[in-house]
Amino acid sequence: MRIGVYLCNCGGNIKDKIDAEKVRAGVLGLPGVGYFKAVDFLCSEGGKDFLAGDLKTERPDRVVIAACTPREHENTFMKILASSGINPYLMQMVNVREQIAWVTEDKAMATEKAARLISAALRRVSLHEPLSKREIDVCPDVLVIGAGPAGLKAALSMAESGRRVSIVEKSPVIGGMPVRYEELFPSMECGPCMLEPVLSEVLHGEHSENIELLTLSEAVGVIGSYGNFTVKIKKRPRYIDAEKCIGCAECIGVCPASAENEFNYGMNERKAIYVPFAGALPNIPSIDETVCLRLKGKECSLCLDACPVEGAIRFDEKEQTIERNAGAVIVATGSGLYDCKKIPNLGYGRLSDVYTGAEFERMLSSNGPTEGNIKTSKGKSPKSVAIMHCVGSLDKNHIEYCSGICCQYAFKFNHLLGKKLPGVRIFHFYKELAVPGKEEFELYAHAKGDPNTTFIRYADITDLKVGSKGGKKAILFKKSAKKSDSVSVDMVVLCPAVVPLPDSAKLGGILGSPADRFGFFEELHGRLDASQSKIKGIYLAGACQSPMDIQSAMTQGMAVSGYVLSGLVHGRKLEISPVCAVVDPEKCSGCRVCVSVCPYKAISYDPEKETAAVNDVLCQGCGTCVAACPSGAIKGNHFTTEEIMAEIEGILR
Amino acid sequence: MSGEFEPKIVGFLCNWCSYAGADKAGTAQSPYPPNVSIVKVMCSGRVDPQFVMAAFDKGADGVIMLACHPGDCHYTEGNLRALGRHRMLLRLLEQLGIEKERCVMDYVSAGESEKFVKVINDTVRAVRELGPFRPFSSHSGK
Ligand code: FES
Repeated sequence: MRIGVYLCNCGGNIKDKIDAEKVRAGVLGLPGVGYFKAVDFLCSEGGKDFLAGDLKTERPDRVVIAACTPREHENTFMKILASSGINPYLMQMVNVREQIAWVTEDKAMATEKAARLISAALRRVSLHEPLSKREIDVCPDVLVIGAGPAGLKAALSMAESGRRVSIVEKSPVIGGMPVRYEELFPSMECGPCMLEPVLSEVLHGEHSENIELLTLSEAVGVIGSYGNFTVKIKKRPRYIDAEKCIGCAECIGVCPASAENEFNYGMNERKAIYVPFAGALPNIPSIDETVCLRLKGKECSLCLDACPVEGAIRFDEKEQTIERNAGAVIVATGSGLYDCKKIPNLGYGRLSDVYTGAEFERMLSSNGPTEGNIKTSKGKSPKSVAIMHCVGSLDKNHIEYCSGICCQYAFKFNHLLGKKLPGVRIFHFYKELAVPGKEEFELYAHAKGDPNTTFIRYADITDLKVGSKGGKKAILFKKSAKKSDSVSVDMVVLCPAVVPLPDSAKLGGILGSPADRFGFFEELHGRLDASQSKIKGIYLAGACQSPMDIQSAMTQGMAVSGYVLSGLVHGRKLEISPVCAVVDPEKCSGCRVCVSVCPYKAISYDPEKETAAVNDVLCQGCGTCVAACPSGAIKGNHFTTEEIMAEIEGILR
Repeated sequence: MSGEFEPKIVGFLCNWCSYAGADKAGTAQSPYPPNVSIVKVMCSGRVDPQFVMAAFDKGADGVIMLACHPGDCHYTEGNLRALGRHRMLLRLLEQLGIEKERCVMDYVSAGESEKFVKVINDTVRAVRELGPFRPFSSHSGK
């Protein structure tokens, strides 16, 4: 073996502290050393040309480069090795600048340390193995779970660049939560109108042929990994042929069976054959088989008789399980609200006229249960309304974080209440106020300046007691440690904490994507990679990752499409780093310790062979499993036990 | 060298935080004693307890394991594994009669060059005070 050693002087940066000639004397003669060369600036254009040429002339078997930190130029030098026909992994860098020359006062000591670390690198590099990136074919198609703002934005931007996208949506309609809101903060835009262009682009826009919309569908199984997932989808029957239905709604009026409308939180009823709310898209009814008389085995054909299109209603439709291949999966399932019944002193679920913010949104909506009229349970317009902020939020007994959106919609309610019911008295009970952003302050300022609006701060949600008194809600609150006060209102609106959806844990389990401590889908990194899950190829968009407003959800929708478009390119293979773990099945005892320590679910256990195996697509090369394996059966490529041991020996020679 | 005992210490540093923190000490030109030689691993979770034992066996007077702060590990939780292994190592070293001050674990972020220098200084000082580590063989029968 012939090892070439290069020492970069880095101008005076290294030369001033490390005596190249002494290092040469110490290094030449060590086993394997073919030559030693000190160069002035190895990373300069001239230096790189020299290195490339010299490697071609000298043809060393291994290379040691003592220079700056490998975090700066390891890739630069690896590329030069590769271009000179030497496997780039047959190199080891020694950090003699940041970790020796710049921090060691005594020149003799610095020189001695450099020589010692070079000798350690020599021992290590002699064990290096040529490694190469593996390339795999990828499927550029994408699967999006959830058809709210984030999922649709992601689907649309990927479809626009020619990707085939399947959207899996649990409900019969698309648009997520905002299509149910008449007006949106901060600028009082109409929710359905704002989203309409996105929705119609998805349904029948220029690129909609790239989008497959699967409503009433759920992902129930996933196999494979980044680049090549196969997702199993359960598709419930709509009992309507989407191609044939013209959306005339003739069927709905004649339907004799009805049930609570869950899209209006049970505040009114809908038919067995129904569109959840006027304007819901796609404009195709669906039949609820738990309510429909015919599907429950009774005689009824009223909808069939009313339908002007032959064959549009299909009682013979069955549940299907289908499969889709996708290179990446985007989770955009959204979030839910904290259960206000867990704070019984607020009266929710016990007293009439106590609503959640989401229920109140529906009441404000012209396509909602009251057609946009704010009415108490007695059918009267309220003269006073209390809005409770921070319900369950910033509370170690409930939800510790601030959801960041509630204040803003609370002030939107303030504005709409004043507009719809001039003179109405409004009380904001709040723990903290949060209205960040360049537009968001306006609704707050408006509420602050409104003479009919009162702000009352509370310390703890248990300091508030909502009771019923003479047809009104009496709210008892602490004014100070000793004094209490009360106000009496006609209606109470609660702004609960935004929380993960109840079934997000199930979906997380299916995808293998872990939850954070609150139950949201956990991001790879809170700031750097908030739209990437811990599992490669599974991306997160919108409130499934953290509470967020529409703007952020849309932005994340774009962000995930960026990951997909740059990472999975049509016709380009996926490069898999060879710096990963490899199991030797001969040595593996099947104890599965590695499976439990791997943070990336990259190791699986084969019960037939009784051994573990690493999926190199998912493995990130951290080496945790290598250190954990009691049988020494896992090799950490480029950081093998032998290589590290050799380095230790070299240091302590 | 002044004739004073100069301990040999091996430092296992993870690539993402502590190795970067050590680099930052360099960029900041903060001097520290040259006694610690750094072995880079991708994550502190790669530090196999046998590396530490081998270092002592081959003549190290001390070992330092540096990791990302809890919650900051580039690979999520490798540092927690390292912490567990360090605890185990301390128990083992105690059984062997080796002072626990010779085997240090700490967290250094990429920005904490000052903390890095302090850990190096403290460890070098502590190990210097303990004196040279006597190889395992001479502990037998103790
Ligand atoms: S990467 Fe630093 S401890 Fe895991």
